[in-house]
Amino acid sequence: MNSIADRRPATSVSSRTAPVVRLLAVMSAIAAALSLGACASVQPWERGTLARPEMQLDPNPLQTGLYEQVYDSKEAASGGAGTAGAGCGCN
Amino acid sequence: MAALSLPAFSATQPAESSVSAGVSNYKEADIPRHDVVGGDNRRYDIDISQFRLLTPIGTRWSVDVGVSRETMSGASPWATVPGLDGEADLIMSGATIEDSRTEVNLSAALYGEDRSAAVTLSRSNEDDYAAEAVSVSGEWTFNGDLTTLSAGVSHSSDVIEPSDAALFGRVAREKRRTRSASVGIAQVLNRNSALYAGFSLTSHKGFLSDPYKLRDVRPSARYERALSVRYRRFFGGTDGAIHLDYRYFDDDWGIGSHTVQSSWYQNVGNRFQIVPNVRYYSQSAAEFFLPVDDFRLSSEISQSSDFRLSAYGAVTVGLKGIVQQPRWALTISVDRYMSREKYGLSSGYEHPARLDFTLASIVVDYRF
Repeated sequence: MNSIADRRPATSVSSRTAPVVRLLAVMSAIAAALSLGACASVQPWERGTLARPEMQLDPNPLQTGLYEQVYDSKEAASGGAGTAGAGCGCN
Repeated sequence: MAALSLPAFSATQPAESSVSAGVSNYKEADIPRHDVVGGDNRRYDIDISQFRLLTPIGTRWSVDVGVSRETMSGASPWATVPGLDGEADLIMSGATIEDSRTEVNLSAALYGEDRSAAVTLSRSNEDDYAAEAVSVSGEWTFNGDLTTLSAGVSHSSDVIEPSDAALFGRVAREKRRTRSASVGIAQVLNRNSALYAGFSLTSHKGFLSDPYKLRDVRPSARYERALSVRYRRFFGGTDGAIHLDYRYFDDDWGIGSHTVQSSWYQNVGNRFQIVPNVRYYSQSAAEFFLPVDDFRLSSEISQSSDFRLSAYGAVTVGLKGIVQQPRWALTISVDRYMSREKYGLSSGYEHPARLDFTLASIVVDYRF
């Protein structure tokens, strides 16, 4: 039996990436379908619901900034939307 | 780098000024004593104060100022070694680390009839770390104000000056720089729903290792890409809205990650909202991650036992209560984060420094 010092991650990059590529393709198709087929014309006077605070992409920017700071510094993943601010030396 | 601002569904000037102030506490659970062979098992406890002012200026400009201050104490992993039980154990930093961080963001935005452009300057200072960042972003709304394209670039220059460098043989002063580019599209689907999709590329170059670990050698470059999709839908019958977010991330260190997050905003009368939320996160390990530090390897060969580079999954459950008034809002929230190797989609090893934390915050918003 190998000692713990000799262990390596078992997952290969190629085997992990293949399902992800398929997932991205499916998501892209769904997004395209929603954008092209499901979009209704929404007149300005019909946008009251969309203007509600809970319908914003980011209803509470102050709190979102804090959450992003925590997750970005404690997990390996980051990014995906918006521009970035200054980093930290968080350990 | 921390996310600073998300695109909006339309590139319009804010109609009124707003001030937000918040206080939060972030507390990591102690590491079990039996997993620590040396040092302090108490991890970070951080108090955070935040302030933000967003105000329109004239008919075409707005200014956004943000300040946050963090004071932290606690210990962090110093080395990972084989334990007597065959599993990995930790040597933690011996003494409690006391540090503080101050971040200031200043953003100016210019609005046209259907577009906007913004420049943001950011500065973050700690005792041992300083970062300066600049970002430029733009938004363009078209298709009858139903579609908004956004794009942005950012650049950050960071300087690391570890404390007690001579005493512990750490690097004295190193630099890293981060560049990022992002694009996004926001689409109003109908009067009750909207969709956003964004993609970002990020490169890090320079000293990317952790100078406080006994043996931590990482490549001097890292390239990342991330795709995110966000969906918002309002349900009139139940007077509530659902947020569904997904992000895929990968990098050339071999890390792949999925994040799924959902919140339900339930209106209770006209003035209260209850918002339960759940988040799932999974990542695979970096190719050079090792369960324990291998001091037989040359210092030229990449290796790290940092739990943040291991394979694991994490679940966050949270609850938020919001009091909405015409001019002000009060938000109180508590979130609990739990990470385990078995929660992840990739196989790995249960890291003794796996992270559990609680984040509680109170935020007051005032519009005028």
